[in-house]
Amino acid sequence: MATDTQLRDDAPGGKSGITVHAVRWVENLSETQFAYLLLVPTVLILGVIAFWPLLSTFEMSLRADALIGAKPIGEYVGIKNYVDLLTGKRNAALTRPFMPGLSVDGQFPFLHVAGGTLFKSAITVTLIFTIVSVFFETIIGFGQALVLDQDFRGRRWVRVAIIIPWAVPVVIQGMIFFLLFQPGIGFLVEPLQQIGLFSSTPLINSVDSMIIVIVADIWKTSAFMALIILAGLQSVDRSLYDVAKVAGASKWQQFKLITFPIILPTILVAMLFRTIGAMRVFGIIETVSSCSTVPSLSCLVVTTFSQRRYGTAAAIAFLTALLIAIVVSVYIWKFNDEGGV
Amino acid sequence: MAQKSGATDSVSRRRFVKTVGATGTVAGIAGCSSGGGNDGGGNGEDGGTTTTSSSDDTASGKTQVQFAADSRAADNQDAINAALHEAGLDENIEVDILAGSQVTDNRQQQYTQWLSANRNQPSLLMMDSGWTIPFIVRDQVANLEEELPSSLISEVKDNYFGASVATAQDQSGALHGIPLFPDFPTIQYRKDLMREAGYTDSDFEKWATESMHWKDFSNAVAEARDATSTKHGFTFQADVYEGLSCCDFNEWLTSWGGAYFGDHENLFGPIGDRPITVDEQPVVDSLRMVRSFIHGSDDPEGLDGYAQIAPESVLQWTEETSRKPFTNGDVVAHRNWPYSININGAEDAFGEDLGVMPIPYGVQASESKYEGAGGPVAALGGWHVTLNPNAAKKSAALKVIEAMTKESFQLTMFGTIGWIPPRPTLLDSEEAANVDVIGRYVKQLKVAGENAVPRPVTAVWPQESTKISQEANAALSQDKAPADAMSSLKEALASIESSV
Repeated sequence: MATDTQLRDDAPGGKSGITVHAVRWVENLSETQFAYLLLVPTVLILGVIAFWPLLSTFEMSLRADALIGAKPIGEYVGIKNYVDLLTGKRNAALTRPFMPGLSVDGQFPFLHVAGGTLFKSAITVTLIFTIVSVFFETIIGFGQALVLDQDFRGRRWVRVAIIIPWAVPVVIQGMIFFLLFQPGIGFLVEPLQQIGLFSSTPLINSVDSMIIVIVADIWKTSAFMALIILAGLQSVDRSLYDVAKVAGASKWQQFKLITFPIILPTILVAMLFRTIGAMRVFGIIETVSSCSTVPSLSCLVVTTFSQRRYGTAAAIAFLTALLIAIVVSVYIWKFNDEGGV
Repeated sequence: MAQKSGATDSVSRRRFVKTVGATGTVAGIAGCSSGGGNDGGGNGEDGGTTTTSSSDDTASGKTQVQFAADSRAADNQDAINAALHEAGLDENIEVDILAGSQVTDNRQQQYTQWLSANRNQPSLLMMDSGWTIPFIVRDQVANLEEELPSSLISEVKDNYFGASVATAQDQSGALHGIPLFPDFPTIQYRKDLMREAGYTDSDFEKWATESMHWKDFSNAVAEARDATSTKHGFTFQADVYEGLSCCDFNEWLTSWGGAYFGDHENLFGPIGDRPITVDEQPVVDSLRMVRSFIHGSDDPEGLDGYAQIAPESVLQWTEETSRKPFTNGDVVAHRNWPYSININGAEDAFGEDLGVMPIPYGVQASESKYEGAGGPVAALGGWHVTLNPNAAKKSAALKVIEAMTKESFQLTMFGTIGWIPPRPTLLDSEEAANVDVIGRYVKQLKVAGENAVPRPVTAVWPQESTKISQEANAALSQDKAPADAMSSLKEALASIESSV
């Protein structure tokens, strides 16, 4: 009623009826309806710039590749591209296989990856890269954040030093690591070969290259994790530590019972962001090694796309998105458990 | 509560509606203005470019033809225009050169996007001889036999390097591109180091035009390396990349009398209906030879009698990474493209001490099972000029192409930016021999050009190239036995060939 009164009182006498009707209509909406109204522009924009291309890509993934002729894409083939990718029938057209060679036998864990294909198939390379890099980036980023959260002389410069790798463009970072491991140019190849860690040509060896790419990614992206976790640390109410000290809690107990539970949702959000990024890794691989040596899922999308196999590229892109969605669902499920929502 | 109430008051629904209305009005007005501007400027990027270009033409009285090339050509735009006008191009026509990526794959992707979008600019495109055919089979470049005089087409087909012409034709032999300049790899070596090992100028004179056997080559290089305590004997490119499949490996296997797809008449198709011959003995032997170069006599898969002359690093090296140790003086011999002759033969590098010879051979052509294989071979590189079928200024663009076929233009470009003339006869000319540095080696380049072998470019070559470089590198890295690697490769190639 108050709203109606206000509307009548404030109604501009000389304004057109459309404006009055619009204002009245909006003011009479419930809170929920008003919220949906506010979301309409966002949904429309997302629809145009995100969902339409997504649907268009999906439609493309249901079509055959067209390598010959003027048409860029072939006829409708249903889910054939997906089936061929998952069964290995499309391997010859890919830089490296989409799936590793798998075999089943009676020995635990029953499903076995064929020797040599673990580091040469896109799914396993992407998962290994993601798990290892996100794990180390979280640990190192957490450590960096704990250091940065302390009050000490020169803290500003330490913060700058930690953030610098994050600011380095991926091409320059890639070139640094490429040159470090280039025989005859980089100084790391010989010593690492002598101690038996790497081969003499690490950038064409899948395992060596994977380690180098992971190290390069950790070097760059730990700073990102540190910044997000630091934001979480600084939101912790300091008086809680004073109470803990009075209660006789040790540093470890303070960390375990106060710091960690409070910033856990922040850590999960940081890990979620990094996991999504890691599962789409491409730039650092292409600049340090090559998609042939470290074939991630994004590598397969880019190489098939550049070879004009648009149907195959779209199908791989969709499978990648599906895999990311599954992993993200795990995080969101865990995030709910931790009371983050 | 007071704060919440205040917040509610400050953004009331009424104010929200007013703000949205005002924003919409402003955006609408701005949009209309912008739309009007666009309408005037033409429909999209192409239209805009054309309109602007036309007005420029009217103002200056000149017709500008856009030519997508590389930064080197763009840097020499004035010299290229001058050479074209000297070759008879109408003074009212000028070429506007777009500097594309120096990386050939990036340029290919750029052209794919432009031509798939049916753009009318650029009118002319400089295309790598290694990937012109995929554009031809997709009808994305014009058939020049329908656009140019038949006498000109015949002149190109009869007088240019045959291998270059072959990579600009469709399956019926129709020409879709005119070779602008070819590129042929050679072996560069240090005469001063060879002299220390007892070789003389008469040897160098012979090597310049008569290819050596790989065994003699490896032994000569090893002698020079040992006599001079040079770090490495021979560097080349064996990384997992296009350069291995198109060129280095292609040269080794062809020089041994092997082939990817049997006779060279099968190089460009028909896909799926040609023999796959990569698992045959000559191909396997060529890999075994290179394994001996890299791993020496300890390698059980190596060939006897071939010296260990190459560092393992070649397995990770491409053109520039393999050239630098040679230019730094740490290597006796090096396989590379003519651009590096200009670097290594410069006075501040090795000058007259740089020797150049054709690629060595494994078997003579007469001993080879396949036509086109055996003897001294050189992988074909180089670039063509092609016509955009939707070209905005087609007649002017065709006149530019005609001028590019003139001998005076080709010789001027050889001297200006090192584009090797596409006619073998021009390499015999005095003008070519007088070009600084590379002019000293035209005899060797001619031999290489006459024995050039193109990569087997078809619509599926990009996929086949990837598999070839992976398997060849795996064999050279000792990850697989050469015979096993080639057997896997044959299987992969068969699968790719049957997928089209």
